[in-house]
Amino acid sequence: MPVKWVLHWVPSVGATANTQVMNEISQCVESLNGVKEGKWKSIITFYKPMTREPAMAAEFARDFLGISIPDQPKKYYFIIRGQRIIFEADSNIELIMDKLQSYKSRVSLTFEGIQYQVGDFQLRVGKVSPTHSESMRGIVMEVEYLPLSSIDKSRQVLEDFFDIWKDTLSKRSLPGQFLHIEPNYTEYGLLDQYTSQHTAVQYATVMAQMIATVQPNQQVRN
Amino acid sequence: MECVVQGFVASEVRLVCDLEQPEPTWTVRHVGGAMKGAGADQLSVLVRTMVESKASKNALRLFYTLGYKLEYEQLRVGFSFKFQRGAPITVTVSCVNKIPKLHAVEDAVPVTPGIQLVEVTAPTTDSNYNDVVQAVSSFSEYLAPLIHLSKPGVSTGVAPTAKTAAASLMSDVKGMKM
Repeated sequence: MPVKWVLHWVPSVGATANTQVMNEISQCVESLNGVKEGKWKSIITFYKPMTREPAMAAEFARDFLGISIPDQPKKYYFIIRGQRIIFEADSNIELIMDKLQSYKSRVSLTFEGIQYQVGDFQLRVGKVSPTHSESMRGIVMEVEYLPLSSIDKSRQVLEDFFDIWKDTLSKRSLPGQFLHIEPNYTEYGLLDQYTSQHTAVQYATVMAQMIATVQPNQQVRN
Repeated sequence: MECVVQGFVASEVRLVCDLEQPEPTWTVRHVGGAMKGAGADQLSVLVRTMVESKASKNALRLFYTLGYKLEYEQLRVGFSFKFQRGAPITVTVSCVNKIPKLHAVEDAVPVTPGIQLVEVTAPTTDSNYNDVVQAVSSFSEYLAPLIHLSKPGVSTGVAPTAKTAAASLMSDVKGMKM
C-alpha cells in the first residue's frame, strides 16, 4: 500500500490547537487545489490492566493501545510501544479483549476530519478529541504518496512535499507547526514495504508525542 | 497447534496455529462458558459462546507481554469434514498430543494413544440455536452406527464394538459422504 506520513500539530508556546487553526490548515490544503473526497476517522483506545491489586499494575503493559484505522475497516491493531510490539487481528479482537476482562478501555480518542486528493498525494486533516466529546485536544494530518509503497524510495518526495506544505502554512502565520517523526520500524519487526501496521505505529508515536507536549517532564523515546 | 494462556484475572484465551498452511496462520479464540439454566440442561448438546479472530504471528508474544502465562500447549492432528444437514456441521477427528517444550511439535506425544477425539460442532446465533441443536443432535444420531457421541461432560454409556459399528455402517449408512 502507499507510503504515509502521520504528522501532528505542535502549538507554539502558550497557544492551543483550536477550530480556527484547523480551518486555516484546511484552507491551505484547498489552496493546493486539494479536492475534497469525504470524511475519515480513526480511534485510539488506551487500555489499563484490571488487576485486583493496584500494586501489581506496574508489572503489566502500561502503554497498551488499540487502534482502528479507516484503511482497514475489518482489522484492529494493538501496540505496546515499550516492547515495540505491533499486533494485527480481525476487528472482533476487541470483543475478545472485552470478554477476557483482563484489560479495559481507559480512554478513547477520535481522529476525524476531511480527506483530500492533491495530485499524487492523498491528504487527511483531522482534529483529535476524546470520543463522545467535542473538545479538541490536537490536530493530525496524514500525507500519503500514492505511487510508491517503499518507505526508502518515497522518503525524498515526501520530504519535498512536506517542505512545500510548511511554506504554504508559513504564509498564514499560524501559532504552531506540523512535526513528523519517523518511528524505527525495524524495532517493530516491520519492513520497507509500507502497511497499515506502519500507520498504527505512527499513530502510537504521535500519541506519545502529544502526551509529552502536555506533560513536558515525561521523556519520550522512539 | 494450540497454546492456552491464562491471565491474571481468571481469563483464558486460546492461540491456535494452523500448521497445514504454507505459512502458519494464527487465530485468537475465546471459548465462553456453557449456556446455563434448566433449559440448557435439557439440551442434548453443549451450547457455548466462541469468538475467533485471525491474528498476526506475534500473538503469543503479545499475550505474554500483557501478563498472560502459558498453561499448556497441545498438537492436534487429524481430519475435518464439512456437512450441510440442517446447519453447517463440522466433524473433526483428531489425535491430541501434548508438547513437552514450547512449539516442539516433533516431540509431541499422544495424550491417549490409539484413541481419537471426535467433535461435532456447528455455528449458531442467539436466535436460532434451538434449530442448530436439533440439527447437531439428529446428525449425531445418524452417526450412531459408526460412533457414539455424547454431550461434553455427560457420559451416556458404552459404544458398540468397532466390528458391530462397521457392519451397521455398511448396511445402514449408504451414500454418506465422508
